[in-house]
Amino acid sequence: MPIIVVTALALLFQGHNRPGGGFIGAVLTATAAVLVYVTFGLDYLQGLLIGPPTADGSHGATEWYRWLFAGGLAVAAGSGIVPMAAGSGFLTQGVAFVHGLPLYGELEVASALAFDLGVYGTVVGGLLTIVSEVGSE
Amino acid sequence: MIETVLAVVFLPFLGAALAPAAYRVFGEQTAYYAAGVAAVCLGLVWRLYAAGVGLQGGTRYAVEWVPSLGVSLALYVDGLALLIAFLASGVGVLVLVYSGGYMHGEPGQAKYYATMLAFMGSMLGVALAGDLFALFTFWELTSLSSFLLIGHYTSADDSQYAARKSMLITVAGGLFMLAGFLVLAWAGGTTLIAGEGSLVAQAGSTGEQLRTAGLFVPALLLVGVGAATKSAQVPFHVWLPNAMEAPTPVSAFLHSATMVKAGVYLLGRFRPFFLPAEAETLVPEWSVVVLSLGLLTMTVAAVLAVAATDIKELLAYSTASHLGLITAGFGAANGLGAETGAFHVLNHASFKAALFLVAGIVAHEAGTRKIEHLRGLRHDLPVTAVIAGLASLSMAGLPPFNGFYSKELLFEATYEVGHAAGGAAWVFPVVAVLGSVFTFLYSVKFLSLFLGDRPETLGHVHRPPAAMLAPAAVLAVAVAAISADPNGAIRLLVGDVYASTVAGEAHSFSVKFPTKLKPAVVMSAITIGVGALLWPQYDRLHRGVRRLLAGPARANWWYDNGVNGLTTAGRRFSEWAQTGLVRTYAAWTVATTAVLALGAYLVAAVSIPALTPAAGLTPAFVIVLAVAVVGAAAVTGAPSHIAGVLTLSILGFMVAIFYILADAPDLALTQLVVETLVLVLFLLVLNRLPAFYGEPSRLRAIRDGAVATLVGATVFVTVVVSTSASPAEPLSEVLVSRANLPPGEHGAFFTDYGGGSNVVNVILVDLRATDTMGEIAVVAMAALAVLTLIRMRERGETQ
Repeated sequence: MPIIVVTALALLFQGHNRPGGGFIGAVLTATAAVLVYVTFGLDYLQGLLIGPPTADGSHGATEWYRWLFAGGLAVAAGSGIVPMAAGSGFLTQGVAFVHGLPLYGELEVASALAFDLGVYGTVVGGLLTIVSEVGSE
Repeated sequence: MIETVLAVVFLPFLGAALAPAAYRVFGEQTAYYAAGVAAVCLGLVWRLYAAGVGLQGGTRYAVEWVPSLGVSLALYVDGLALLIAFLASGVGVLVLVYSGGYMHGEPGQAKYYATMLAFMGSMLGVALAGDLFALFTFWELTSLSSFLLIGHYTSADDSQYAARKSMLITVAGGLFMLAGFLVLAWAGGTTLIAGEGSLVAQAGSTGEQLRTAGLFVPALLLVGVGAATKSAQVPFHVWLPNAMEAPTPVSAFLHSATMVKAGVYLLGRFRPFFLPAEAETLVPEWSVVVLSLGLLTMTVAAVLAVAATDIKELLAYSTASHLGLITAGFGAANGLGAETGAFHVLNHASFKAALFLVAGIVAHEAGTRKIEHLRGLRHDLPVTAVIAGLASLSMAGLPPFNGFYSKELLFEATYEVGHAAGGAAWVFPVVAVLGSVFTFLYSVKFLSLFLGDRPETLGHVHRPPAAMLAPAAVLAVAVAAISADPNGAIRLLVGDVYASTVAGEAHSFSVKFPTKLKPAVVMSAITIGVGALLWPQYDRLHRGVRRLLAGPARANWWYDNGVNGLTTAGRRFSEWAQTGLVRTYAAWTVATTAVLALGAYLVAAVSIPALTPAAGLTPAFVIVLAVAVVGAAAVTGAPSHIAGVLTLSILGFMVAIFYILADAPDLALTQLVVETLVLVLFLLVLNRLPAFYGEPSRLRAIRDGAVATLVGATVFVTVVVSTSASPAEPLSEVLVSRANLPPGEHGAFFTDYGGGSNVVNVILVDLRATDTMGEIAVVAMAALAVLTLIRMRERGETQ
């Protein structure tokens, strides 16, 4: 699972210039979680992702997932509104270049990454909600 | 001025929103708060009137609404709009004051006043609407708010039935009207109704285009159905008598100044469109439809009013009858007709509102609405009797009251049509007289409630409170004032209405008391003479008409059976269509989609390009595709669910490899990841399903096979058709040329095309980012739907 998640994150962050992107990264992350679920069961997965169950036996997992997809949607929408404040159209994306960083040298910071992160959060949250709700049936 | 116009329309809605809060503060006195809001509206309308914006073709005000689609909220102020706005706000003030007395101690007052204000606002919106969108929106809002008002006593079965009936008929009519509007908007290329560059302004050319397309009469009929249902014209009059289940102030408002007036307003509004100045025939389509409808309604409803046993029922049928008179006026293709319609809108509102308020006083104070129990009320209610006398004589069309003048105009208009067209057109004046005879009869009947001796059965009758008497008195004074100086009313207001309803004419008109023997005078004399002769036979007529009204002779019979039949048919259909099996739904959905798509290709005459082997088809492609085909074939023969899912995955992974070979790594990645996730999810739910497929029946196998073939064919054709297009400048080249950052040319910040080098991702996050935004919103919604459906299904209706 760690390997899959690292791959997923790599896909997410390199998505702007090489194959990958928020959606693929998110689905891959969800796949990792589902693999754990298929192997060890739902309780183990929830314990792994959220922590030990509370006294009444529930994890409150869905609440976490709900925050995740709501937050993702907010980040994506926010990344669209920020350029509007700067005078561009809704969801205009751009790149800024940061020079002289240690180790990296020149770094390219794409605003699209914020949008991609929003996509990532929404899809992971949404899929995990569905899996945990359907799975607990 | 635009602020004033907007305030007139939206202030009542604001007042309605604040009504519950006002009720907490004022309690029973909320009536006066609502009347205050109405009075402010009346003042604003007066301001518009005094500013003269309604003169000479009116003035249009537009507020941008959806500018990219060319949709704006256009409001239009002319004579017709001002008259209706005056009536809605003026009668609104009186009716709301009256409600303060009538609704004393009634339940649901906050809701009542909020809805009344919204109702008034909707009607003001209808009156001032300058484009089809605004008109339709406010039109339906009147249906909606009247539904709430008619069903005010929510627990009474009769109220529910009446509210449903009015809603069903008026909203259904509204949909016909919407269809008519769409035709008009298509033909005219504009949604503006009146004023410069509008439908009415270019009535000639738009009408020609409609005629060429054969849509002139259909458009006329569609708009006409909207007007007829709203104004309770035969055979849609059935909802109006039931609407008396509403509290009486609502009836007074609905029957005189709102809702039903919307229908005749619509006819007046579209009269110059369907009846342009250069009309060639004496009886054009417009007259055939509208004049006949109006006269038929006028007569039938007057006969039904004679059969009424309840005072409000009598008044309800009388409303339908008088709306028929207005409709007939607007229907006549001469100037006299427009005069009739314009003038009678005002006259009818004045006497009918007064009469309904009188009926409310009688019902409230005498405790009964049955005509047979009521007589000699003048002893107990002297002031009310005077009011009723003025109003009902005006309703009867007796000289010198105001109703006489507009009815006289109708006689002249129909006589002129008959005289000019000859032959069958003589039926118009004859029917007009016939309807008027019955109008005379029921008007006298209403008046007779106050005459004669007081019957023993009538208990103690209270004096009405001032809040109820004063509004009725104000209306009676209005009746008397218009009667005394009809030309004054015309000069002040109605003359401009005439200008709004006649194409190409902007002059006014006048009436005068007849001093010479004219056809119209003869017709009036016949009406009064025959009416007076028949009066002693009233009870016999009353019983006779009631005897005739059994079974299919009643429009209500058709309504009830129609609605019951539809309900039964709907239930049967849902039992047949909604089996509760997912496979039924899936089969229907995909088959319908496929048929629609194929049908669209057929209609659009899309040619399927010849299939040629693509260049660069390497052996690797062939092998991958061959494996995919084998996988697909294996799915059909899979012995268990697990095997089926696994072989299906072979197909999916082969497609992914195909994408890699075709230089589409992003697609391949997505396909791989989604395929994996789907496979894992499938494995999760498989243990819930039976281990093996059942033995399918032959019939089902054939049906499923047919659906599958159909879907396959659709997808195949779609792919072939959609990939065959080769634009001169492929988009991909533009994107690829921009994909890599131009070295050195850019500054510290770079916004062109998102500044990324993965074309697919740049499309997703920049060029089509709004799409992506929508898609992730859908994912979030799906998750929410799962949450609600699974979490909350135990909290459903069963508990």
